[in-house]
Amino acid sequence: MTPILPAYSLMDHDIARARPLPTTGVGASLQRKEDRRFLAGEGEFVGNIKLPGMLHVAFARSAVAHGRILAVHKPAGFEDAVFTMADLEAGSPPVGPIRVLSSLPGFKPSSQWPLARDKVRQVGEPIAMCVAASRAEAEDIADAVVADIEDLPAVVDMLEARDAPPALVHEEWGDNIFLETLVEGGLKGDAFEALKRGAAVKVHRRLRTARQSMAPMEGRGVVCSWNTRLDQLEMHTAAQMPHINRAGLSETLGIDQASIRVIAPDVGGGFGYKGILLPEEICLAWLTRHIGRPVKWIEDRREQLIANTNCREHHYDITVYADARGRLLAIDCDSVIDSGAYSSYPFSACLEAAQVGSILPGPYKMEAFRCRTWSVSTNKPPILPYRGVARAGVCFAIETMVDAAARAAGVEPHEARLASLIEADEMPYDNITRKHFDSGDYPEAIRRAMQAIDLPRWRARQGAAEPDGRLIGVGHAVFCEQAAHGTSVYYGWGIPMVPGHEQCGARMTPDGRLELRIGAQSHGQSLETTLAQVANEILGIDPDHVRLVHGDTGMTPYSTGTWGSRSMVMSGGAVAEACALMVERVRDIAAHLFQVPLDQVMLAQGRVSDRAGGHSLTLAELAHVWYRQPQRLPPGVNPAGLEVIGGYKARVDTGTFSYACHAVAVAVDPGTGAVELLDYVIVEDAGTLVNPMVVDGQIYGGTAQGIGTALFEEMRYDSQGQPLASTLADYMLPGATEVPAPRIIHMETPSPYTTFGQKGMGEGGAIAPGAAIANAVNDALRPLGAELTELPMSPRRVMAAIAASRAGGVIGSPHAAKGQAA
Amino acid sequence: MKAPVFDFTRALSVADAVALLADTARFTKPLAGGQSLGPMLNLRVAFPEHLIGVRQIESLRQAFIDPANGDLVLGAAVPHAQIEDGLIPDVTQGLLAHVAANIAYRAVRNRGTVGGSLAHADPAADWVNTMPLLGARMVAVGLAGEREIDARTFMTGPFTTALDEHELLVAVRVPALGKNARWGYVKFCRKPGEFAEAVGGVLIDRARGIGRLVMGATDGAPIVLEESAERVRAASSDSAVAAHWTDARLSAAIDAAGIGHDPYSAQLHLTMARRAIAVALA
Amino acid sequence: MTTIRLTVNGRAIEADVQPRTHLADFLREQQLLTGTNLGCEHGVCGACTLEIDGAPARSCITYAIDCDGASVRTIEGFGGDAPMAALRAAFSAEHALQCGYCTPGMLVTARDIVIRLPGVPEDRIRKELSGNLCRCTGYAGIVRAIRAVMAQSGTPSGPSLASTEPFASTAP
Repeated sequence: MTPILPAYSLMDHDIARARPLPTTGVGASLQRKEDRRFLAGEGEFVGNIKLPGMLHVAFARSAVAHGRILAVHKPAGFEDAVFTMADLEAGSPPVGPIRVLSSLPGFKPSSQWPLARDKVRQVGEPIAMCVAASRAEAEDIADAVVADIEDLPAVVDMLEARDAPPALVHEEWGDNIFLETLVEGGLKGDAFEALKRGAAVKVHRRLRTARQSMAPMEGRGVVCSWNTRLDQLEMHTAAQMPHINRAGLSETLGIDQASIRVIAPDVGGGFGYKGILLPEEICLAWLTRHIGRPVKWIEDRREQLIANTNCREHHYDITVYADARGRLLAIDCDSVIDSGAYSSYPFSACLEAAQVGSILPGPYKMEAFRCRTWSVSTNKPPILPYRGVARAGVCFAIETMVDAAARAAGVEPHEARLASLIEADEMPYDNITRKHFDSGDYPEAIRRAMQAIDLPRWRARQGAAEPDGRLIGVGHAVFCEQAAHGTSVYYGWGIPMVPGHEQCGARMTPDGRLELRIGAQSHGQSLETTLAQVANEILGIDPDHVRLVHGDTGMTPYSTGTWGSRSMVMSGGAVAEACALMVERVRDIAAHLFQVPLDQVMLAQGRVSDRAGGHSLTLAELAHVWYRQPQRLPPGVNPAGLEVIGGYKARVDTGTFSYACHAVAVAVDPGTGAVELLDYVIVEDAGTLVNPMVVDGQIYGGTAQGIGTALFEEMRYDSQGQPLASTLADYMLPGATEVPAPRIIHMETPSPYTTFGQKGMGEGGAIAPGAAIANAVNDALRPLGAELTELPMSPRRVMAAIAASRAGGVIGSPHAAKGQAA
Repeated sequence: MKAPVFDFTRALSVADAVALLADTARFTKPLAGGQSLGPMLNLRVAFPEHLIGVRQIESLRQAFIDPANGDLVLGAAVPHAQIEDGLIPDVTQGLLAHVAANIAYRAVRNRGTVGGSLAHADPAADWVNTMPLLGARMVAVGLAGEREIDARTFMTGPFTTALDEHELLVAVRVPALGKNARWGYVKFCRKPGEFAEAVGGVLIDRARGIGRLVMGATDGAPIVLEESAERVRAASSDSAVAAHWTDARLSAAIDAAGIGHDPYSAQLHLTMARRAIAVALA
Repeated sequence: MTTIRLTVNGRAIEADVQPRTHLADFLREQQLLTGTNLGCEHGVCGACTLEIDGAPARSCITYAIDCDGASVRTIEGFGGDAPMAALRAAFSAEHALQCGYCTPGMLVTARDIVIRLPGVPEDRIRKELSGNLCRCTGYAGIVRAIRAVMAQSGTPSGPSLASTEPFASTAP
């Protein structure tokens, strides 16, 4: 579809800076409309919702990672308060399993029953649903449920799962592999082999990133009831993608989608964790209808940590070839992703691997690329795309390898990068995996970052011993953040949920205010503010007069929801289209009212007037005439009125490409292994910034999460598949003392394909810290001959790397091969 | 994550509490600030049937200098924040306040108590390592009356103490340091407020013949290295006292405590001890 | 059930509670004061921080029954409070909140910092914030907002003192 709006062309960086800063529209650091209710403690989170007669649910969950269920015993006297899969299957229609199929050839599907049937495949898997008047009493009942389970060997490590499995997670598969893929580009066969032989630099590493928990401050939660008047399930759920949850509920419950309304109220952070259809949602949907009472389940922190989804566990067996200057020639990689027990809804078990295979080249040019991926099933929770998805692991892999190649070539790492990056004058550029880079100047981002971090200052400091004995290092990483992925991208990756066109419904109310309805959901992204800025940009309406309706399938157009840094591009585009349509409707009404030709009517600053100056109305006055005084309107006026649907799809929908360079200086304490961040610089290009304050907030927050990935966060399991972190004292989230205040420098190269030149940028902050900090730590440890190859770089791993280098120059962490210790 | 069913009775005097704790029919435990027990209850890893609230027993909230010997008598229900804020008499040249200020977080310190933390006896907590360093004595009251327990023998293992099941810890007697005493107390935590992975404490008080080094956050009670009073008194300087704490001696003590099998933990404990010495001598 | 009497946001309350009901659940479920959010229910995350007898406390590991006689103030109870008003304005101006879930606990802690520790340097502010986790903001706006309120009240946050300590007692 051709957008009604011309693409903005005025956003060349320097021109934009020369203009006065806008105060309300696109480009304004407008304070948030959302803030008032949250500052007052009046946010409406799902945990706050209370319905008359509501009962509470707790789940009895598996204590073992892998086993065959022989029997589930309901406690005596509570038979009517405890439900198993047999109960859910006995209904009409019977409740079915979650099955999420990749469309790529060779994919093996899993069946995840909402309550375990036959087998349990992870610790924490729900076995029975218990209902009572309070959560505490429901937990009492759940504690009394006894499940007879025959233990099976646990499949814990992904490499073992692939190569020498102690058991099969899904027996019918014959192995533990969801999907194997091969991505190749550039030179192949003999030509690739010749390149390998001739390369001046060849570096090989085995790299690993830890399994993480996304850990939003609010967990999941569900309140649902059956509306008998509408014959409709009403579910409030802490979710990022309510329309997708509705589709999934329909598929598993066997009822039509119109019989389900899913509402995501205020949601306390998502980061991907809430982009899934949960077994618990299916269970409660069934239960409320079965017992005729509203029911509530609020995920507690232990459930969040041990039972529900994780993310980010990658292994890379990677070789990089470069020339004598460190310029990249080729990548050859085998990558394994631990996808956990089940393929999750809707992203499947294979999104992570799809991204690894296609994004591993990063923003670099090269002559050959080969990456084989395995999405492996283990007896651990399913994985979901966490902020940055596979890009965080990919960035760690490629960027630590570029540094290793630079060290081998004897050049500064930024010189190796500058020799390999796509240049600004090559944009748009199709890379070796056919990624379409829309715009940007990557080398300039690195140059600015090097200038800002002041590389010579740190190199000089490294020459002198620190008074406290710590080791100083400096490092950086660059990445591209493909965002707002379009139809072709997700179709190509085989994901069963393919995003298409995005819509916005806009209604001018009789008092001249604007309601915008979008199918995405805002849970911290500030869409209530930023989309009002878009409306202001097009309609001139005061942002305070704009109300965003979101997160409610009953009130909004279909959308795949909020994920993949897509909302500002997709919903922003749709809002702009809807507002542009509204402009036409307003002008049409005004032309009839003023009795002047349409081309004489203009709309500016919230007033509609004729060019001759004879007539002028506020939007409120015009709306009042339309709704309340139709007798004043002559025949011929467009009867569709002040209600429109605008739709949007980017002109080229392969995604926008934000990018950044993170540069960091660290001090490593060789007595404890502790890493302190001394300075942190981010040079970011997210195209046109709709609200720079909000953009910076996304970068700060993402970077904090990336620092967690780099240094702290790790879901560990023992050899039996028991999770070793069940509290936030064990699973460490970075606090105010662990996160520095990064210095952010913006470049603003507008995307040629989006409405205002904006690019999706919500994930970027979380992508680079693991790589940048690893490069800085390895720079610090270089005098000792030690190198870290695994995230997080916990003090234990740092000390182990130092000890290994002292013991005889074994490069890398001794845990790198197994990864379960530490 | 809700606590299991329990009963609760608030005691208003030590006698009251001791009488209630004597109940053998039910698993009965005192509850002070609840900052350690609360999480264990919510996580359902502790199942007391009857909790006796002792936080508001007036005598447990007092802190004063015993005129007989200059000891600080620190009531068991004094919250960490009061010590942090210097609201109790200081006989330790700021050591108690320094330790208090780095326990968990302010909101926890406002409610958590000295006695509660000691009785809980988490090896990674602070007071179980600080009180042995100071040579403090625990004052416990049971049906048989009051007795004192040396802090160095108070903790008998992880989460276990020398307290009798029905005894209440009512106070800690902290001896006053000499005016030339020097101390160092450092700990290694992944993040401020987290439980320590290693603690190092050093006290050198030559006038009183004390040269003591504590390595805490072990698998049980802290390691205490005590120099003989004669040797300390004879030393020409604090450095001369500290010179006895060689890496070899410290490592041997770490091995003897069973930490040596984990080189990382052993290294951390050694590092913290060395740094505590450096702070004390600085 | 046991009857307790306490003051909640300045109002005298008498209520029956089960001993095992923690203060946050009591406030949220029985008093309908849902501004206090639960983040972990084991005392680490700080989301449930509120005031008991004028000092910040964790409401998830404090049992309502042990608050008999206490004065409790939740985020709903700071209506006429000037430091809280200043913090709320500063939180908005500095973008110190995104999803808003940690915000009530964060505000209670922030208010304690500006009143108890006027003029302390940024690293001290950060240490005092270490018991309140935020997963959205990276703390940048929160720290700026607290510094801004200190500056407004004539006690600007001073220079960092970190480098004067030979070894930080905590790390990193």
